[in-house]
Amino acid sequence: MTPFDLVEPRSLRDAAGLLDPDDPSVRPIAGGTALMLMMKAGVFKPTRLVSLRSVEPEASRIQVDDTTLRIGALTPLASLERSAETRRLLPAISRTLRTLSNVRVRNVATIGGHLAHADPHMDLPPLLIALGASIRVVGPGGERTLPVESLFAGYFETSLARNELIAELSVPLWPQVRAAYLKCTTRSADDWPALGVAVALEMAGSSITEARIVVSAATERPTKLSGASVALRGGRGDDAALRRACDAAADEVSPMADAHGSAAYKRELVRVYVGRAVRAALAAGGAG
Amino acid sequence: MTVMSGGQVGRSVPRREGPAKVSGRAEYVHHLRLPGMLVGKIFRSTVAHGRIKRIDVTAAQALPGVVSVITGEDIRTVIPHPYYGPAFHDQPILALDKVHYVGEPVAVVLAADPHVADAAAQLIVAEYEELPAVFDEVEAMTSKAVVHDTLKPAGTFPDLKHLEGKRDTNVALDFRLRRGDVARAFAEADRVFEHTFRTQQVLHLPLEPFVSAAETTDSAATIYTASQSPSFVRIEIARLLGWPENRVRVKTAFLGGGFGAKLYIKLEALVVALSLMVRRPVKISLTMEEQFYTITKHASTFRIKSGVKDGRITARECEVWWNGGAYADIGPRVTQKSGFTAAGPYDIDNVHVDSYALYTNLPPAGALRGFGIPQLVWAYECHTDMVAHELGIDPVAFRRKHILRNWRPQATGTVMRDAEIEAVLDRLAARMDWAKPFDRGTGTIRRGRGIAIGFKASVAPTTSMAIVNLYADGSCALYCSTVDMGQGSDTIMAQIVAEVLNLPVESVTVVHPDTDVTPYDMATLGSRSTYHMGHAVRLAAEEVRAKLAAMAEELGLPPGSNVPVAELFRRKYGMQAGNVVGSGSYIPAYKSPDHDTGLTPNATPYWMTGGTGAEVEVDTETGQVRVTRLVNVADVGKPINPKIVDTQLSGAAVMQLGFTMFEEMNFDGGQVTNASLADYKIPGLRDMPVMENEAVAAEQRDGPFGAKGVGESGTFGVSPAIANAIFDAVGVRLTKLPLTAEAVYRALRAARGQPLAEE
Repeated sequence: MTPFDLVEPRSLRDAAGLLDPDDPSVRPIAGGTALMLMMKAGVFKPTRLVSLRSVEPEASRIQVDDTTLRIGALTPLASLERSAETRRLLPAISRTLRTLSNVRVRNVATIGGHLAHADPHMDLPPLLIALGASIRVVGPGGERTLPVESLFAGYFETSLARNELIAELSVPLWPQVRAAYLKCTTRSADDWPALGVAVALEMAGSSITEARIVVSAATERPTKLSGASVALRGGRGDDAALRRACDAAADEVSPMADAHGSAAYKRELVRVYVGRAVRAALAAGGAG
Repeated sequence: MTVMSGGQVGRSVPRREGPAKVSGRAEYVHHLRLPGMLVGKIFRSTVAHGRIKRIDVTAAQALPGVVSVITGEDIRTVIPHPYYGPAFHDQPILALDKVHYVGEPVAVVLAADPHVADAAAQLIVAEYEELPAVFDEVEAMTSKAVVHDTLKPAGTFPDLKHLEGKRDTNVALDFRLRRGDVARAFAEADRVFEHTFRTQQVLHLPLEPFVSAAETTDSAATIYTASQSPSFVRIEIARLLGWPENRVRVKTAFLGGGFGAKLYIKLEALVVALSLMVRRPVKISLTMEEQFYTITKHASTFRIKSGVKDGRITARECEVWWNGGAYADIGPRVTQKSGFTAAGPYDIDNVHVDSYALYTNLPPAGALRGFGIPQLVWAYECHTDMVAHELGIDPVAFRRKHILRNWRPQATGTVMRDAEIEAVLDRLAARMDWAKPFDRGTGTIRRGRGIAIGFKASVAPTTSMAIVNLYADGSCALYCSTVDMGQGSDTIMAQIVAEVLNLPVESVTVVHPDTDVTPYDMATLGSRSTYHMGHAVRLAAEEVRAKLAAMAEELGLPPGSNVPVAELFRRKYGMQAGNVVGSGSYIPAYKSPDHDTGLTPNATPYWMTGGTGAEVEVDTETGQVRVTRLVNVADVGKPINPKIVDTQLSGAAVMQLGFTMFEEMNFDGGQVTNASLADYKIPGLRDMPVMENEAVAAEQRDGPFGAKGVGESGTFGVSPAIANAIFDAVGVRLTKLPLTAEAVYRALRAARGQPLAEE
């Protein structure tokens, strides 16, 4: 490892100012669980790391109002997992976090880093997209807000400028939403997923008024499957509708082949797991 | 032998190094820092087979902090003929003339700062004239691509002499066994079954990667190395340098896992040569990734054919191809020593085995926990199950009918003794409730169960020596070169000393291997230490006991008097002074197999038998297999430490579970594409099935206290038991490892007549 500068600004705005829009060797570091591996492997050789560990405490707070759960970007995943608000209002997020990597990583990794890394195998992005979450981003020019869905531009690529930082994640709280995330590993239990499927269903009684289905890991970025949503919308999620949704999802998805499985096999996994995830969401009860 | 009842053997004495390990105080070579030490970083080949045209080290040499950059040709200045290996002297310390696989060491950068060495290694440029490469073991038999121009067997093995100087072949060894008249038996058979099975290339992946350090003078070398074979390292380094043994000192520490990887020469010759060149201590610590380029487990192809007459197997023909990679390492020994058991633990009159060690342009393969046996059992126990199924006979009953019983000749002609194969099968069937109905699952989850048994002959002949040193206060030290790499040998050996000398086990210390201090041992491998070193230790302790008795007699004490040891020393030397030293050595009887027939009246000192029963749940929609129960039963003789026996069986089974379900080195043109723990997955806690282990009632009558080895027996049956259980659950047969969810799913689709597209 060659020497590099390490700076610890006191605010996210200052941090954004220390980043360089044109220099990929200058990067922010939060928990560092991914970045350090890249540095050890020699894939990333920094000239300057902008540490976010000393920024304003608001950046690692979880707050709730009538319509939104707001999570500061520096919140460790373990804090989000254990937060009473998350458990009460968005139990699908707590459940997902319990199977995300391991407790050592969750204690250190932050929600902002988890999103900004843009690794398609991450567990929360598909669920957050299904739940209609958005992020607030700070940069030298000010702030902007964008849906999590449009954060992911490609394989390990975001739509953020190099000098923009995620400040906060907002997840809307709909009383009638039921959600679930299922992942499928094809090697060891702690392997990166071959496929992740997140489902959020807006319900009116036992009718599905809106369905959002997002796949990850098998695709180069978390991807919404609209055909499957159409098949479920307006129904009650009966077997025939589920079958149509699963087939639509399998037709629509473009999986990548890798060591976890061939594209053809992952397409079949999508067909099966979309159905299982919808069932899990329906079984999750209110405010899943 | 007479055995005093010290009560130390047969007891689950806690592992003596446990507290030091869990509190981070145990000594490992990785911790070692020598004054003035340089570290080396290896530059590796990027082509699978090529002639070296040019190695440009100028940029690397120019990087500030770099002390030296060394290539294969430079090595010749200190070691003129720098080729090593336990069976063939085929492996150069750094590549010479040609490279033979992607990842082969080509040059080394030396610097005080590992980051500088690392950066400099990336500045080295090598040009190769690429040559055709061969990767598949069966293709290698006839391939035009020839990995080595000539074969270079080491002089140590008389049975390899006929291979000296052989040209234009990738066959490093062709072992054959001929028993009875196979052709006639097939001709007379009612039915003949033939199947081909394959296993994938995997690796040991100890959590402590390879590490060696050397400090040298003009006349002496000291090597600190994470090695399972310190005595071999000393002899082989002395041979390379043309020095007597006593100028080479090899020291080991605890190993963070070995599993057969850390045998023979790995980094030791390299660090010695580098240290001699730069006249400073040199250490090389490999990364996790570099383990993938160092030593692996043989991929294999096994064609097996059985003839059945009147419901009984009358003939078995076995043809096994072992993918040895670019250097022979101990592969030819795997080919022969495991090859002769390829027909399985069954009593079959006519057996025909051809077992071939092949060179290919892949990372070398060597010994890995089981020494080839798991590859063989995988094939013969799937095959045996398939035959039983075709004949409509219960697989347990079919096996029992053919079991190789004591006093019957094994395929080599060696008469079986103290091999409780039938007891292993019986206990397995009993624990699995084989006779009772089985819940087969419903809906998309189908349940199945399977069993498999295998056996292994201890590698012979091998030698162990030990010294027991009794101090004047009655405490005692054992000097032996068995390496405790996590298997618990320190505890076992201390128990044996304590038993013989009637001491508490806590009063015995075990001195770790240091070839200037501890005597010769062939190596810590092949589940040989408890038996071979156990005997040597027992003999050394018995000599001490005899000397003590003589001392008591000399002091005028009546026979059998119970004067404490410390008092004996005080009376003899007038104060707390003196030692009693005993030594022991052990080599079992053995007879080499006939070259043409593979037959011998004494193939091995003892047989190890292991069997596994598996219960699985198969998800018919995805092909995912959950192993819900794994029962491991083995004949280990009389356990010296029942708890260690238990953990050895479960540890071996879990390791083989990874090789069975998902571990696989992926290659692209000879380049490993998943050389990291992120991309090559090993089982974790959440992959652990419910496991039960049992050592059957048994005794190895010529073993120390009735014991024999246990380190590998838990691996034997795992893969075929699971495959047999998958067949039982969903009716599909997989003939290739690993048994991935996708492989099961594809087989299910194919069985429905709706095969899944390849891509």
